[in-house]
Amino acid sequence: MLEFFFNPSSVAVVGATPKEGKVGRVILENFKNKFKGEIYPVNPHYQEILGLKAYASVQEIPGRVDLVVIATPARTVPGVLEDAGVKGVKGAIIISGGFRETGTQEGAMLEDEVKRVAAKHGIRVIGPNCIGVLDNWSGVDTFFLPEDKMKRPPKGYVSVISQSGAFASALLDWMAHHGYGLSKAISFGNKIDVDEVELLNYLVEDPTTNVIFLYLEGVREGRGRDFIDTARKVSRVKPVVVYKAGKTKRGGIAAASHTAALAGDYTLYTTVFKQSRLLEAVSFDEIMDLVKVLSTQPLMKGRRVYIVTDAGGVGVMLTDAIELNGLEVPETPADLKERLRSVLPPHCIVENPIDLTGDTDDQRFMTVLNELLPRNDVDAVVVVALPQVPGLRGELFEYLVTAKRYGKPMLVVLIGGGLTLEYKKFLEENGIPVFESPERLARALSALYTYSRIRMQGGVS
Amino acid sequence: MNAGSIIEAALREGRSKLLEHEAMRLMELYGIKVADYGFAETGRKAREVADKIGYPVVVKVVSPDISHKTDVGGVVLGLKSGEEVERACEAITKNVKERQPGARLTGFLVQKMMPPGVEVIIGATRDQVFGPVIMFGLGGIFVEVLKDVTFRVAPVSYQEAIEMLGEIKASRILEGYRSQPPVDKEAIAGMIVSLSKLMEDNPYIISVDLNPIIAYSRGAVVVDARVIVSRAGVVNR
Repeated sequence: MLEFFFNPSSVAVVGATPKEGKVGRVILENFKNKFKGEIYPVNPHYQEILGLKAYASVQEIPGRVDLVVIATPARTVPGVLEDAGVKGVKGAIIISGGFRETGTQEGAMLEDEVKRVAAKHGIRVIGPNCIGVLDNWSGVDTFFLPEDKMKRPPKGYVSVISQSGAFASALLDWMAHHGYGLSKAISFGNKIDVDEVELLNYLVEDPTTNVIFLYLEGVREGRGRDFIDTARKVSRVKPVVVYKAGKTKRGGIAAASHTAALAGDYTLYTTVFKQSRLLEAVSFDEIMDLVKVLSTQPLMKGRRVYIVTDAGGVGVMLTDAIELNGLEVPETPADLKERLRSVLPPHCIVENPIDLTGDTDDQRFMTVLNELLPRNDVDAVVVVALPQVPGLRGELFEYLVTAKRYGKPMLVVLIGGGLTLEYKKFLEENGIPVFESPERLARALSALYTYSRIRMQGGVS
Repeated sequence: MNAGSIIEAALREGRSKLLEHEAMRLMELYGIKVADYGFAETGRKAREVADKIGYPVVVKVVSPDISHKTDVGGVVLGLKSGEEVERACEAITKNVKERQPGARLTGFLVQKMMPPGVEVIIGATRDQVFGPVIMFGLGGIFVEVLKDVTFRVAPVSYQEAIEMLGEIKASRILEGYRSQPPVDKEAIAGMIVSLSKLMEDNPYIISVDLNPIIAYSRGAVVVDARVIVSRAGVVNR
């Protein structure tokens, strides 16, 4: 039902301009470079912009228009929307700022006017005061940040909903740098119409979205129930990682009771996330840690984690971190011990964490993993392959990519400098998440387990 | 009186807090067990109520103007005879006149004095975004100092209520310790579910504190109920 925002057959960019550095130019360029449908620049001062025929108003456009992107001064927006309404446009992304967020009466009145016109014509609105939509699959890109300032991530399966446009752009730039794939990003600014509830509802059906990340400042008054019901529904199908920032505006009712005093804003959101089975990231680091594990790894059937390491110390750190996060690092069963003893040199430790020691080579790792991965009592494997040991030459990492066929979560710990980064890049490009920090790895793996349980139980406790 | 008319009466009279016996009645209407009680306008009537309930009893002042009853000497515990009850009512009247002159005295709440058990608190508040939210915690320092409580957005199912009992850090207290037997978790969970229902049914209730509730190995009983109402509290659903 929001399809025309992501997959329109034709787009009008109102406020398009050839002037360098202007929002209206960047947006038009984005469409020109990536979008396959019809593009109509709208600006009464030009006959032609960037080689495209320009129109004085939306109404003058000869063909059908599915979506308008508006980047004109706030006071002109109601008129543009009126035009679009008469033309029969379905959706509008209003980039322009200068509405309620200014705190002025004029801004608030303009916003109400926009709402009224949109409702009158049945136009759905994203924004105002937003950077809108970036869809890597269709080429819709209203992010007005030029490519040389903000790189676009490669095509992928993670979708981002963000109340903050600035945070979304920074995150996307970061994702691009680290090679994380993106399906769609939506920033909705003042959210006078389309909000996170509707977007979650849309993305649950979207075949190119496997994981959703939601940056949330607050749910609208009275919209809480819908949020919970929708989030629950979505969690049954795909993982949603949520980060809560800021405070919502509370009603003016004094906290007249103990309970009201204890029910702080953030406490309630945490409760709601838990009840609707969303996975809460509590720090910036955790956002992408969770997203990268959830978007690349298969579900965990149980909580038993095996560690194969070339560094005893890191093995112990990991064991602590994994157990503290509610997962298990079980003792190696007798039959496996026996097998491992028969294939490993006597100085290796076959107890989990399985320590291949500093004289290991790639082959030794592969031999052990060949034993571990097919076993029913192994639910996930963490490989600590500190590349400083002389025997490691990278063959192990190629093996890990082929070992994805076992359908078990495999995470890798690499700590170090130049060579580490090279291996990390190779592994992550092939869908194997790499961590430096045992604690961050453990948190992300525990989120994967939590989500696996949600899915196993059909999203209900 | 049904729940709606109790709340309506308070709102009509401009009271945001239900009187003690109104709050108790409201809980009873939702099947939440409260300590045996009766309301009396005078000391003599209080004595009659106490005779009916059986001793020992507690007498508490009932007044729309007093929010902290103990602060004004409005509560007398452990009364063992009708005579003591009458005297307690006189003392309360005198205390209130001295410490909060002008406070209206509606009457007295006579309540069965409950034997000790594990004190828990169940509360509810109406959030502008999420609607009714239910809280559970242990009483005393656990809630006041440690803020060891857990929440759920209503409607809270029985299963979720049982989960809440296990979620607080001090949940092992409910399992029994030293000579204490485990408490009746089903009874507490039942109260949580009932309070969730009460909040959903009555949009003018802003918050409820059932504090303390005394939990035993069989059953649990509300000793004090504080209910705040307002027409401004209505949110969608």
